[in-house]
Amino acid sequence: MKKLFKLIPILFLILSCQEEGELTRTPQNIVPITPTAILKYYGTFEPTSGIAVAGEAKIYQEGTQYKVKLDNFSVSDGPDLKVYLSKAATPTDFVNLGNLTSQTVYPIPSSVNIEDYSHVLIHCQQYSHLFAIAELIQN
Amino acid sequence: MKSKIHEYQKNNFKVMSKKLALILVVFANQGFSQGCSDAGICSINKGFTTEEKNFKNHIEIAAIFGAGESDVRYVSPYVSYTKRFNDRFSFTSKVTFSTATGSFGTRSQFGDAFLIGNYSFKEKSKKQWSALLGWKFPFTASNLKINGYSLPLDYQSSLGTVDLFLGTNLNYKNWDFNAALQIPVFNLNKNSYFKEYGGTDDFPSTNLFERKSDALLRATYSMKTPNKKFTFKPNVLFIYHLGEDSYENIFSQRENIKGSDGLTINGNLITSYSISKQSSIELSLATPFVVRDVRPDGLTRSFVAGLQYQYSF
Repeated sequence: MKKLFKLIPILFLILSCQEEGELTRTPQNIVPITPTAILKYYGTFEPTSGIAVAGEAKIYQEGTQYKVKLDNFSVSDGPDLKVYLSKAATPTDFVNLGNLTSQTVYPIPSSVNIEDYSHVLIHCQQYSHLFAIAELIQN
Repeated sequence: MKSKIHEYQKNNFKVMSKKLALILVVFANQGFSQGCSDAGICSINKGFTTEEKNFKNHIEIAAIFGAGESDVRYVSPYVSYTKRFNDRFSFTSKVTFSTATGSFGTRSQFGDAFLIGNYSFKEKSKKQWSALLGWKFPFTASNLKINGYSLPLDYQSSLGTVDLFLGTNLNYKNWDFNAALQIPVFNLNKNSYFKEYGGTDDFPSTNLFERKSDALLRATYSMKTPNKKFTFKPNVLFIYHLGEDSYENIFSQRENIKGSDGLTINGNLITSYSISKQSSIELSLATPFVVRDVRPDGLTRSFVAGLQYQYSF
């Protein structure tokens, strides 16, 4: 019985794992910016307290589709970082463009009126901590 | 006299076996629907267990295998320990673990810890009531990822809520009737899955998921073979989800998930084999036949098979 008790945590540790599948294999959902895309807005990322960030947020238009591109971008590690297109410098009214991953281009849903949004934010959703802010300037 | 009772038990057992076979045939013809996979409310009747009163300690080790939504498959082991303080009061603790495998990959993690207290009232006219109070604590915020990709709740080992259980049980002859409530008291769910970015339509968005309570009713009939080695416990389980769950959509607005409330009915057959006075093994087979229209919590199973080993000392 004692042996069994010792085996249980070891068994749990062995079982504790993750393995990618067809929907989580990298790279996935890589969206390119075509050479014909027009740069409409851009802004340089500024960090919040205790965070290191570099790079720019750029919004391109391709036909009727808008896309956010993170250019020469790097940021401090965070557990649940998201890319927000926001109406303010704080994450109160925004469009969640998804997880910050190795992908650099994030399509903006077609129902979004791009003129209503003034910032691109990098935000840790799980711990509700804002990492970086890029105020958008019209090109 | 003894042989007459034995004969009666045999006949009674034959009749019940036929009824059981009929129930199983009906269940087997019901196609895909929501199953009873919730490590919480579906399994808390264990906290009502009153059969074994000769031993003070009771350990249970189990592995539950399940088929879920889309192509998701589960292996969910758990360990539980029950301490019986006296004839009236017992206390159960339980830790769950889950491995989910499907198109998103494989994700394993500890699920929840349960702490459940049970009080049995004095038996009167062959009726015994008991009451249960318990808590469920999650080990995760239900935001496990693979390669940085957010996963639906179907792949999460816990719902990420601290839940309160309140329940009562009536034991009358061979019947047990349970009623229970599972109430999410603190929502720690930080799931960040969006259908829009998931690459599949199989799972609904559950970003910052908020869950409503469940109410449970269960009726169980127990029958033992004449040699008392085997016990069969067919049971039917009604779970009512008492409201629509909600999530925060990509536009940062909270949205109710239409069709996520309502009734689920499960059929379950437990077969127990007594190895000795102290130990037994149990096989539990469950399948649902009435479901909610939308099941965002990832508790959906088309079939569940559980294998348990119990040891008392």
